[in-house]
Amino acid sequence: MLSDFITLFTNPGTASFVNFSFLPKYAPYFVQGLAYTLLLSVTSVLLAIIPALILALMRLSKSRAIRWPAGAYIAIFRSTPLMVQIAIIYFGIFFLIKIPNITILGIVTLSSFIPFTVALALNSAAYVAEIFRAGILAVDSGQTEAARSLGLPAWPSMRLVVLPQAIKNVLPALANELITMVKESSLCSAYGTMELMWAAKMVAGTTYISIGPYVLIAILYFCINFPASKAIEAIERRMRRGDKR
Amino acid sequence: METNGNLISLRNVSKHYNKGAVKALDHCSLDIRKGEVVAIIGPSGSGKSTLLRCLNLLEVPTAGQVIFNGIDITDRHVDINLHRRKMGMVFQHFNLFPHMTVKKNITLAPVTLNMKNQSDADAQAMRLLQRISLADKAEEYPAMLSGGQKQRIAIVRALAMEPEVMLFDEPTSALDPEMVGEVLDLMKSLAEDGMTMAIVTHEMGFAREVADRVVFMDSGKILEQNLPRTLFDSPQEQRTKEFLSKVL
Repeated sequence: MLSDFITLFTNPGTASFVNFSFLPKYAPYFVQGLAYTLLLSVTSVLLAIIPALILALMRLSKSRAIRWPAGAYIAIFRSTPLMVQIAIIYFGIFFLIKIPNITILGIVTLSSFIPFTVALALNSAAYVAEIFRAGILAVDSGQTEAARSLGLPAWPSMRLVVLPQAIKNVLPALANELITMVKESSLCSAYGTMELMWAAKMVAGTTYISIGPYVLIAILYFCINFPASKAIEAIERRMRRGDKR
Repeated sequence: METNGNLISLRNVSKHYNKGAVKALDHCSLDIRKGEVVAIIGPSGSGKSTLLRCLNLLEVPTAGQVIFNGIDITDRHVDINLHRRKMGMVFQHFNLFPHMTVKKNITLAPVTLNMKNQSDADAQAMRLLQRISLADKAEEYPAMLSGGQKQRIAIVRALAMEPEVMLFDEPTSALDPEMVGEVLDLMKSLAEDGMTMAIVTHEMGFAREVADRVVFMDSGKILEQNLPRTLFDSPQEQRTKEFLSKVL
């Protein structure tokens, strides 16, 4: 039993953790997959920011009629699997909306890139909205009171006084959302998006080397996300030090 | 609406929380004449701050009217923002905007509300800072200032709107003792300039010296109001006597 396990690391066969013999031939697929993964996750989080801010402000509204739709949106997207959301948006919404087959930057075919970016962004908006809401609530209510007492209406008070302070609060959480998206975007491989997970699947299927490609992309994901999360922690610590009132 | 010479009046104002379970204010009426300095005193939780915050509708009364310059500002059709411009407010915890310089704190509202262009507002801010001898702090951020400096800047930030009345909510309660004097001195000089002021305070000496009238509150009610000397030396209500015997 134990010896079987050890052979996973020692035998040169297809079922080995350390068989990277596919690399010389297939390296370009992984490079392209990595670029696609990063593009997909960064674009979708950026796209999510404005809708998320609107959702957060709606959630903080005094009016129930405004709060309710935002709450429902957030509840739906947080309580259903992303995999299912991608399927519904890809097969449902983008069955009706046709995207032209244009390729940009050499790797991005809009007809498949846009539906998945939108799906990830819609999902991300629900999570980022909650991040923004917490960030806005963390700003002392005295700030709003001071702005309102000077005669500033609600929106200028929010925009000029509360939001600049809230954004500083939420930057680390927002960066963490980006890391989550880098990982979650691997779900898109199930629908043929040529990102990192898809590259591994494709290479494993072609070469019959069943473990190595996945070990490789695990290392790649880790090499992006771990340093990124450490960098965020460092920035967070520095920001807290500078945060004297 | 008839003002009877009052700049600002509360008429039968009540403020209830939890559907009437908590009565923070219970049928309070108060008139403040132009140029008058009114000090509001009383034990903690007596409703002093709530009363003050009802004057500019930071707290919206459950019942009653707030009349400012003859207009009922509790009316839903009144644009409260226009009236708040004329009512400066100073808070216990200063509430300066930490992400803006001192000068920007002072010019934000006049410029955003198109009452002044940036250069006129800057010039005005520098005049106000000179008045409080803090012109050298114009480009600093609030985090670099002492509590007394912050509160004096919060006062001139309100003055930059050229208000008709200044509302002070325990302006010295969060200060180190050695900084209380500089803030009270500034408030005193405002009073001498004829500014209409409503001050919630625990500084009895200041209330006696500067106020034209002292209002005593307890349990959400205005129990007694009189000239400072009369109220402090010969209070009429038993509750006022008890309170004053503890704090004087």
